[in-house]
Amino acid sequence: MADERDEGRRKKNLPHDPSRRRFLKGVGVAGAGAALAEHLLLKSEAEPTASALADASTRPVEGALNLALDVNGQRRSVSVEPRTTLLGALRHNLDPPLTGPKLVCDMGTCGACTVLMDGKPVYSCLVLAVDAAGKRLTTVEGLGSPENLSGVQKAFVEHDGLMCGFCTPGFVTTVSAYLKKNPNPTLAEVREACKGNFCRCGTYPRVFEAALAASKKT
Amino acid sequence: MQQQTPAKKKKVKVPRVVGGVETMVEIEVDDEGGPEWGPNDKHTLLNHRLTRVDAPVKVSGAALYTHDRRLPGMLYGRVVRSPHAHARVLRVDASAARRIPGVRAVVGATDEEVVEGSNKAAGEAAKKNRTEAGGAEAAAGGKVVLFAGQPVAAVAADTPEVAEDAVRAIRVEYEVLPHVVRAEDSMKEGAPKVTPDPNEQNVEEREKRGDAAKTEAAFAQCDVIVEAEYRTPILHHSCLETHGNVVEYRGGDAATVYASTQGTFTIPSDAAQELGLKESAVTAIVEHMGGGFGSKFGIGIEGMLACQLSKQAKAPVHLMLTRKDEFLLAGNRSGSWQKFKAGATRDGRLVALRATQYRLGGLGRGSQAGQPYIYTAANFYREVFSVHTHEDASRAMRAPGHPQANFAMESLMDELAYKLGIDPLEFRKKNLKDTAYHRQLDRGAREIGWERRNRTPGGGAGALKRGMGCAVGTWGGGGNNQCKVDVTVARDGSVTVAVGSQDLGTGTRTLTRAIVAEELGLGINEVAERIGDSRLGNANSSGGSTTSASLSPSVKDAATNARLAVAAKVAPLLGGAKPEEVKFAAGQVSAGGKTLAWKQACAALPSAGITAHGEWKSNLQASGVHGACFAEVEVDTETGHVRAVKMVQVQDVGLPLNRLAVESQINGGMIQSLGMVLYEGRVMDAQLGLQLNPGFGDYKLPGSLEIPELVPLIDDEDKREAVIGVGEAAIIPSVGALANAVFNACGVRVRELPITPDKILMGLTKGGQTA
Amino acid sequence: MKAFEWVSPASVGEAANLLKSAPAAKDVDDAARPIAGGQDLLTTMKDYITRPARVVNLKGIRGLDRIEPDGRKGLRIGALVTLAELEESAEVRRDFPALAEAAHSIATPQIRNLGTVGGNLCQRPRCWYYRLEEAVCLKKGGSECFAATGENKYNAILGGGPSYIVHPSDLAPVLVALGASVAVTGADGKRTIPLEKFFTLPSEGNIRRENVLRNDEIITEIDVPASGFAAHSTYLKFKERDSLDFALASVAAAVELGPEKTVKQARIVLGGVAPIPWRVPKAEGYLAGKTLSADALAGAARLALEGAEPLGKNAYKVPLTETLVRRALAKASGLSV
Repeated sequence: MADERDEGRRKKNLPHDPSRRRFLKGVGVAGAGAALAEHLLLKSEAEPTASALADASTRPVEGALNLALDVNGQRRSVSVEPRTTLLGALRHNLDPPLTGPKLVCDMGTCGACTVLMDGKPVYSCLVLAVDAAGKRLTTVEGLGSPENLSGVQKAFVEHDGLMCGFCTPGFVTTVSAYLKKNPNPTLAEVREACKGNFCRCGTYPRVFEAALAASKKT
Repeated sequence: MQQQTPAKKKKVKVPRVVGGVETMVEIEVDDEGGPEWGPNDKHTLLNHRLTRVDAPVKVSGAALYTHDRRLPGMLYGRVVRSPHAHARVLRVDASAARRIPGVRAVVGATDEEVVEGSNKAAGEAAKKNRTEAGGAEAAAGGKVVLFAGQPVAAVAADTPEVAEDAVRAIRVEYEVLPHVVRAEDSMKEGAPKVTPDPNEQNVEEREKRGDAAKTEAAFAQCDVIVEAEYRTPILHHSCLETHGNVVEYRGGDAATVYASTQGTFTIPSDAAQELGLKESAVTAIVEHMGGGFGSKFGIGIEGMLACQLSKQAKAPVHLMLTRKDEFLLAGNRSGSWQKFKAGATRDGRLVALRATQYRLGGLGRGSQAGQPYIYTAANFYREVFSVHTHEDASRAMRAPGHPQANFAMESLMDELAYKLGIDPLEFRKKNLKDTAYHRQLDRGAREIGWERRNRTPGGGAGALKRGMGCAVGTWGGGGNNQCKVDVTVARDGSVTVAVGSQDLGTGTRTLTRAIVAEELGLGINEVAERIGDSRLGNANSSGGSTTSASLSPSVKDAATNARLAVAAKVAPLLGGAKPEEVKFAAGQVSAGGKTLAWKQACAALPSAGITAHGEWKSNLQASGVHGACFAEVEVDTETGHVRAVKMVQVQDVGLPLNRLAVESQINGGMIQSLGMVLYEGRVMDAQLGLQLNPGFGDYKLPGSLEIPELVPLIDDEDKREAVIGVGEAAIIPSVGALANAVFNACGVRVRELPITPDKILMGLTKGGQTA
Repeated sequence: MKAFEWVSPASVGEAANLLKSAPAAKDVDDAARPIAGGQDLLTTMKDYITRPARVVNLKGIRGLDRIEPDGRKGLRIGALVTLAELEESAEVRRDFPALAEAAHSIATPQIRNLGTVGGNLCQRPRCWYYRLEEAVCLKKGGSECFAATGENKYNAILGGGPSYIVHPSDLAPVLVALGASVAVTGADGKRTIPLEKFFTLPSEGNIRRENVLRNDEIITEIDVPASGFAAHSTYLKFKERDSLDFALASVAAAVELGPEKTVKQARIVLGGVAPIPWRVPKAEGYLAGKTLSADALAGAARLALEGAEPLGKNAYKVPLTETLVRRALAKASGLSV
């Protein structure tokens, strides 16, 4: 192995030297942890400001913010923090909530939280709620209901494009947006469009079938 | 009907799953009478392609998973994880956290609580969840944490954001202890001891079987001998819905727990113990759940902490693990390290095999099917050990121990076949007694075009090289007698089937409905099912592929009894026919030349309708399935990139209750194998003791561009008129098939999964061999 | 994510001032940050790799979201142009095909719908240790690069030390190859920086940063000049997992051909193998005046990786990148070699 070459690059460490652990960051271990906690206290004690977003164009806003979100054709008011993600706002802050988009990876790496923002699929876990105000938002609930399924949703049902179903809202949303953009795709194009959505049960082949079937019906 | 005479009894062995651990137990069941499925090709709904009855709510976002529960006054819980692989907890100070407005409960946050609370809980949960393990490794820790990610405290707050702040405001002081996270290091003399339990060593013997001396002597008869080591890394279940519960306890003497679990009935006792309630006072609800794959039995450490938080706050607590939590503390598929010496004769007989098998399950025992797996070796000897490391305990994961064993044994068989110059398919057949495999191998070979395989591994012009591989696998899939089902027919004709079982995405709701609808001659949407509720009839946990074979016989029995009960009431309207002569078909009830529409017939029922009960019937299920997989891949020999082109898997399953769902299961098995063979694996830093890829960006599940053409084939030559579970069987043979296809394509035998481009490229530069 | 204050100014100047006027931070990763698409920044904030107390939104600023001709057959690309817009731009596809290819190769459709050109250039490194909160490595203010002797399969083979991160941007190698520059506005004024001088090696610049931007500076525009080789440019990215992955190695190549397949000039920039987009002038020079052939490509590939010093687990990147260099040059020049 080339490890020998590496020795010169960094001082030699004994394999089980506990002192090396000082480089490891404990969760909230003294020092920085204490400072962090104090900072949090300050933030949390701040009076909620019922600021319109317009305020944020001239001065920084923090604490609680009241926003209006345009979701599935409805104007919904919601109170969030600046750090609240759109996904969090939909799932937790809206009352009643929209829990179709799922929290799975929280890092923009799985697609289960996909929603449409001005018609385009985005990861709602990587959008701040404050940034979504003023945009036209569509969640899977806005595409159809169990009693009145959209064409794409029907195709997922008919082609068994789901198993546990946790990734399904994301796939349905992604596919729905893509078929609007490209109503007659090839299998390769469907795969490319779906590459930001991941499934663990292994429904991909049937998701592809469903997408192609839905495209033929539109 | 035989109902009048006392039933004869017989003894049958059935799988029983406790905490995901499957053991065989002998039980007594009725030996006669009761319903039969009839020929597999004579069904009107079963063995057809049924769309899922829960699909409409799932495709529209209306399905409520545990993650989606919102209750009045609900708090959000989070766990505090140890950042150290091995450490003593000196002090936990939650004072700053408690001062944050909106923080409602903190547990495990004093010295006492750490000892008595979360660490005890961790130990208890580890025991319950450690489906492949026994012993007291995590529990024995006391104040000592034994893996990075082990919970040491938990908080509940008004919002997820405040809960996150509270986690970070809790100060934990640790005395860091030496750790070991690699098997090789753990086995070394003087290695840090993994658990404080004096009875538990880092390396523990699990099994010695076979005749060592005879096997050693038999190598002398062999024409070829292969010595090789194979490794597979720890894998993650990667359930898209993380583990967790919503515990609704508001004081008083009852509670409801919404759980993401594979065992509705594993929840109440666990929760009752934590909440200090009677088991009967706790209701578990599992309406929909987002994947388990063997990792979700019992309430888990996260559920115990949620109960403690809910009890402290007297408010509902929603505690779902974060994705990083899930990677670090929600169990894993054990890794493996298998060393072989194997020999065969020129005519293709496996004559001698010696195996040393290490199961790498962290704190758990891990699992690994004993070698030579399903092959027959005239002489064999194996030694099996668990090697412990400071990592979370392994749990059952889809066919525990089989994919690991399959990769190693099927690679070894391939190596022997090539060394002998025999077609790998023929070599397999010579060493497989059960002819079901021969049939399946022949069918798979036809389907993929086995004759097109690369005759010389790595042969052919150009950088892109294609190759094929094959492998076989087996599983049990029988049921047990735990399911109690009720079918109610109301006077208005509505039909409900109720049982507390759960649907993991396998199609439980659909098959339950379909059995009843078929029996009563109704459409599938004319029956409603109620499942996922511990107040309903008992059901087994979904482990060991036992759900279908446990549930469907009870449903069939209940449906049959319901049919007879309806018939008895309707018979007077049908010229006094005997109940068993009344026909139920196409929405009509008929006998003696008279026909009533279903609703007309039901009008004859008493005002309360009828309710019929069903119990398990052993004759309606069976055990033992076979599968064969063929894979074709393309390797770019200048970059090491592997593209899976096509996979064909033949699987027998007895009576396929729902062909569409069985095919989807086979697809899912092939895709999870694809992940295991080409992409997935936990990566640990040996010196830091930390997992480096605890997220879906770096732990790479296969995505839409990785999926080959998949051909799932149900082996209808299997004429058993009995239900057998197939979930786990489906993941096994494709592991060996893919690995062997890579060798056939490029001539590099990668003996350590996943087969990534770096290993292929380095193998090519070293002339085809990698470690 | 740690709580922060949010501000959404209407001009670049205000944004720069808001970054500068933020309360002093204890650590560089606690300092105020600008947010555009947020597709990388938010992931680092969720993992507490960055912990800004103030986040300054750039999307309220007008005029930074356009792709416009620069009047000399080049393009001016606003920093807020999304990766999806870049990928789909007819002008980009026609005149700078490598740039469209690079944009298309990034992450997933969802990320490209929000991720911006400026953000792509400023994204933080990919390295398992850097991205793991618990490991306080050199890049995060610690005292060693754990990747040097640890799990370094994805780390640098060129230009490494004392940190061995790789730069993850797919646009950067292409833009360096095309000779692009970035326009930057800070609280103290504007400047233009050739992209080749924008990125800094760990051994040269601030080890905690990957470029020369001061904390109050914002990229406003990327200028991509016309050149003889831009139309014959390509970007090849090698991923372990095609669906979603960063480059294990990538190559941006651009070739200006003379008569008889002779190379007038070539640009070759490697991605995913060094802490910065890694230009290989020696290989470029070797090709100048040569007739393109399999041998010439192989020679250029060897020279491109000449100085490589693999770590314990990434020697495979050498043959891999050589292959990509050969293939990229062949593709850029329209040859099947």
